[in-house]
Amino acid sequence: MSASAVLLRLLSRRPAVPFPVPLGKGQASRPRHASSRPPKEETGPPAAEKLDLDGWKEAARGDGRGEVPRTAPGGREDAAAAATREFIEMWRLLGKEVPEHISEEQFHAVLRCPSKSAKKKYLKFLFTKEKRKKADRARKERKRAAREEEAEGSEDAEHGPKNTFLRRIYQKAMEVQWGWRAAQAMTFGQPLLFDMAYEHVMTRVELENAVRQLLESEGWNRRAADPFHIYFCNLRPGGAYHRELVERYGGKWDRLLLTATDKPPVDLFPRSDLVYLTADSPNVMTAFRPDRAYVVGSLVDRNIQKGLSFAHAKRMNVATERLPLDRYLNWDAGGKNLTLDQVTRILMSVKDSGNWEEALRFVPRRKHSGFVDASAYPRELLDGLRKPRAKAGAPRGQRRGKTAGL
Amino acid sequence: MTFFPAPYWQGLRVLCALAPRGRPPPPLFSRFYSSKEVRGAFPTATSSPDNGKTVSPLPSGANSGKTGERKGGGKHHPSVSHPLFSAGAAKSRSRKLGQDQGPASVFLEDSVLLPAKPLNSEEWEKMKDTWKTQKNFENWMMKKMIKNNSPLDVAKSLLAWVAKRNSSELGYSLLIHYLTLCVHQKQTAEVIDLYEILRARYRCLESGAYTLLIRGLSHSDHWRESLLLLEKVKKIIIPSKTNYGDCIEGALLHQEMDLAWDLYQEMLGYSLTPSWSTLRLFFETGKGSNDGQLKDKLLDILVYLRDHQMYPEESFVQSVKTWFESIPGERWKGQFTTVQKSGRCSACGKNLESLHLSPEEYDFLKEKIMKDVIEGSDQFRKTSPEELEKYKDFVKRHPPFDIVIDGLNVANMKSKVRQSLTLLNVVTQLAQKNLKLLVLGRKHMLYGTASWRKQEMEAVQKNAACFFTENTSEDDPFLLYATLHSGNHCKFVTQDLLRDHKACLPDALTRRLFFKWQQGHQLAFSSYSAGNRIVFQPVLSYDTLVQTTGDSWHIPYDENLVERYSYEVPTKWLCLCREH
Repeated sequence: MSASAVLLRLLSRRPAVPFPVPLGKGQASRPRHASSRPPKEETGPPAAEKLDLDGWKEAARGDGRGEVPRTAPGGREDAAAAATREFIEMWRLLGKEVPEHISEEQFHAVLRCPSKSAKKKYLKFLFTKEKRKKADRARKERKRAAREEEAEGSEDAEHGPKNTFLRRIYQKAMEVQWGWRAAQAMTFGQPLLFDMAYEHVMTRVELENAVRQLLESEGWNRRAADPFHIYFCNLRPGGAYHRELVERYGGKWDRLLLTATDKPPVDLFPRSDLVYLTADSPNVMTAFRPDRAYVVGSLVDRNIQKGLSFAHAKRMNVATERLPLDRYLNWDAGGKNLTLDQVTRILMSVKDSGNWEEALRFVPRRKHSGFVDASAYPRELLDGLRKPRAKAGAPRGQRRGKTAGL
Repeated sequence: MTFFPAPYWQGLRVLCALAPRGRPPPPLFSRFYSSKEVRGAFPTATSSPDNGKTVSPLPSGANSGKTGERKGGGKHHPSVSHPLFSAGAAKSRSRKLGQDQGPASVFLEDSVLLPAKPLNSEEWEKMKDTWKTQKNFENWMMKKMIKNNSPLDVAKSLLAWVAKRNSSELGYSLLIHYLTLCVHQKQTAEVIDLYEILRARYRCLESGAYTLLIRGLSHSDHWRESLLLLEKVKKIIIPSKTNYGDCIEGALLHQEMDLAWDLYQEMLGYSLTPSWSTLRLFFETGKGSNDGQLKDKLLDILVYLRDHQMYPEESFVQSVKTWFESIPGERWKGQFTTVQKSGRCSACGKNLESLHLSPEEYDFLKEKIMKDVIEGSDQFRKTSPEELEKYKDFVKRHPPFDIVIDGLNVANMKSKVRQSLTLLNVVTQLAQKNLKLLVLGRKHMLYGTASWRKQEMEAVQKNAACFFTENTSEDDPFLLYATLHSGNHCKFVTQDLLRDHKACLPDALTRRLFFKWQQGHQLAFSSYSAGNRIVFQPVLSYDTLVQTTGDSWHIPYDENLVERYSYEVPTKWLCLCREH
């Protein structure tokens, strides 16, 4: 290693020229300028006039430290952090998918990433986020400009009170109305349970996605004509779910018209009334039953963990069902597990109309190639296709009587 | 169920057949169709590339596709039935089923005509005008040049043009692209010049540029510089195995053995897997040397291969052979050979290591299977606690079995034969050999349906002990446990490769143990047709692993032309023996 140490010393003395080569040795093999090039290359392009092929190097060297990456803010960062910052900047110069600006918090998340690929993935995520934000801002700007222009154009138009039959219905009035309905549902509505027992099997990203889907579901339910009474059960106070939900809802969390509890579903309702919806269930849901409490596992599993919610239902000894996707849709690709808001909307729709074709509109279009054309066959034939034996997997004692839909 | 008149039943049948639309046709059909299509679409001489490869050793290289396939198959796999886990087995299986279409598409040539000689500024301007649609013309052009390995002068003239226009436009990415081209063409002088420029302009670089510079410099006189670069990479991320490989190569080329070994150890410390070319270089530089320490280190590499179940590639094995034969004073003789079914090396006649697990390993595996595969994190995911108890009880009550059969897997082997009949056939044939059988299945097999006749299932139960799990439980873990519980002589019958269960095991060592056990105990059918005698694929009796007995080494390796799947083991060996 002694040679490299010598080299280092030499380098530190003359930072701009890293190769103070032992005289003559490298010089011959290293044509720096066009003038010192071997003659055979000189005669290379005979057709064109003499091209200065190496002149650009001088130019490139000439601008000196023109593009030194932005210095790290604050001198308190240690060497690794500073190096990472510069590293990210160089990636950006190379045209990789890396955000332009990184907040302190995000930067620490980058530092925490265990591997290079994890870093890359996270940086790409930040990159797309930044891009989307930028596009959003540009769009807003455009809209505002258009609005201003319009306002200027029609300045002389009257703004005074008009004689109208109805007052304008504002968002607030709608919300009051929805609130009434939700309160109604809290007392008389059919329960819909979200089982939050899965927070320990999800990653941070998955949990965030699950909470977003819950928010969406609650929103759709609030706008429904006949909403469900939503239960968040197994919600551990102070757990990750609880924290995230409170953060997202803010002050509204305490005024939400739903029941949040840390009890499991079996403590809230008689076991025979519960139906756990899971895509792994052997039983197909034929009809929506207004006397049942449907349980949806609020689980997003990106790394598909097979049979997790089904195992959970088995442990609680609760009946299980899956949506009749195969029966009504020509399934193409993608998992049969749907997002929470899709399931909520399907359940709401089938509750109102009792029509599966209507309800299964909410299954993403990319997953199937259309509805099964069953019109050519008599109804009872189709029902006969699903043998009663298909239910054999249900826990004992849960099959009371025949299902109404048949 | 209500009675339907015949036409209704017809309709029902049709409906059943049509229901899963968009699914590929069953294997039997697809084999027929696809092979026909392929043969029709391509001229026979250029049938499919892998066929061409397997055929090439034969004297008559240009025979028609069909015979070529058969002969090619016969060349590498002399018998129709070869062990389930030997190299190339999966490939030939998929070829038999017609699933293997070979590499699908041939890339279209670039439509852009790259300049063959340096252009001047006006010509570049003209070029840019023709490709106006490209946003970043310089970068795009440079990438095309990298792809087609254009002469360096052309790239230089492009840079000169850009610099002339505006020197600040000579961006980082353009320089790095140019660096890539230089490194590919091994233009060390240019690489050094570029390194100077990059150093002058930027305070630090990123991993891609460092990798290129390390590669470019490690061959030159400035190879020590690449070590400094490696240090810089280490500050940010763990260097890749190619980074280390290049540095080691540089050190070895310049006779710095100790440095190379230090780098090698450091690399293993990061648990990086060295590439074959790096390892080969060690053996090549060690050729003819009389250094005892060096010899030990090289043998350590072989032990490392053994510990990590790595199977070398052909070129590496060549180097190992020449190294062994070049050791002065020790008369080693190397031969490329195969191993007989009995586990005897065809060249030296020594027996290879047996596939049997030691009692401790066996107990360890049994416990791991119970804990990680069956119970896992949640007993309810694969079964239920009551069922598990019942099953454990059942296994305990019975004397050890000889063969455990995965009923559903076996029954579904022939799609056209009734499932219970297939199962009964297999069970009676095995029972005639006076073997104690256990059939695992699910409860729905007992209901008495069109495909599961009650009488036949009763006959099965007479011939073998049976255990039926819940319809929602998984039966494979039970199969594994019963086999392990019965002892080392017990085998199991299934076509399943059990990869998902192997994946449940926590660490590489246990997975390795499992695979070793599976190789020795799994029986799979090689051919079966209703009513015929069952033929199983042969089971390996020896372990495929780098192994030594002191004065002999046996090293399995991958042939260049055979495509080996990750769960298969090589069939070719290098046998090294010391002559006395």
